[in-house]
Amino acid sequence: MTESVRLILERGDPRRTDDWTRRLSTDAVIAERNQTPELQQITEIVVSRAITSGAQGVALTGSTARAKRTRISDLDYHVVGNRPDVHDLPADVDVYESSPDKMRTKLLQGDDFVQWTLCCGCLLYDTGVFREAAVTVVEQDLWPDAESKLRRLPELRRLGERLIAVGDRDAAQDQVRAALTSAARGVLLRQGVFALARSELPAQLRLIGADSLADGLDAAIYTDPPLEALASMLETVVAVELVSAA
Amino acid sequence: MGSKPKHEIAREHFELALQDIETGDERGAVSALFYAAEAAIVAVADAHGVDTKQNHRMKADAASELHSNGVLDEDCGPLLRTLNQERKDVWYEGEDPDFGDETLEDVAERVRDLIEAAEADHD
Repeated sequence: MTESVRLILERGDPRRTDDWTRRLSTDAVIAERNQTPELQQITEIVVSRAITSGAQGVALTGSTARAKRTRISDLDYHVVGNRPDVHDLPADVDVYESSPDKMRTKLLQGDDFVQWTLCCGCLLYDTGVFREAAVTVVEQDLWPDAESKLRRLPELRRLGERLIAVGDRDAAQDQVRAALTSAARGVLLRQGVFALARSELPAQLRLIGADSLADGLDAAIYTDPPLEALASMLETVVAVELVSAA
Repeated sequence: MGSKPKHEIAREHFELALQDIETGDERGAVSALFYAAEAAIVAVADAHGVDTKQNHRMKADAASELHSNGVLDEDCGPLLRTLNQERKDVWYEGEDPDFGDETLEDVAERVRDLIEAAEADHD
């Protein structure tokens, strides 16, 4: 049994209606517990707008769903349907949208974000699309494709290098963090470890001995490194690229 | 590697965006236009005491505030939000850039205007 299947079953077997109903209720409680009243209000608006525009599923994802928010955390959602307008909301809101077909296709292609939603997200509205996807993971014993994360590293790293060359420290930190996060997820998935929220990745990496990647990611999340340090962090990404390609 | 003024950083991103457009690298162009526009807004916001707190939403809100205050002729808030979403979609979702009725060149023209406003502010 993959770690994805274990994580899904821990929250209720999607093949059983009672279990699934219980999971949705529990997820609503977890989402409430993990958010401040201000964030709860934003989530209510996002869910309501998504449903009004015909969404078939809405989940709170990312660090908020795991109660692991940091100073740089967005409020992340996965909407199965059209992306609602969120520009007027008082937070950095990031909505990942997918049609039901696109979600199924991505799931079968090994997309890690869709599995993340099912394993760790708080499912706040479901007409059956999330349940069907969770059943697919369980019945087919699916696992996210680590190689697709690792294959993207060279282009993410090059973008980081370009931003460093321009001298835009803030933009470079964003991009270096994205490259390190992608590298971390790829390395963990390759080792059979389900990659949790970004701030949890350094601890997960240390458990498998990937200390320099863990240190780099920690620094990119919790500090504001100068450009020289950001350039060094990208060398860690190069090392992951080389090991992956070997 | 010392820190450069934000309006100069904006101009450098913009020149890279133009090169990307010329070579057909749309993903590179979208990313460079986004960072050019953000750097330009931060340059103007810093000069006028408007907080941006290293946060994408705050920068887009600052762009709208600078328009409301009469500092900028155009409200570039929607431009920043669109570029940010497109950047994520093209880089992380593998989608093609979609600016509705506008082409990438049209968007580049709007970013150029914004950078020129930032440069004028620092003359």
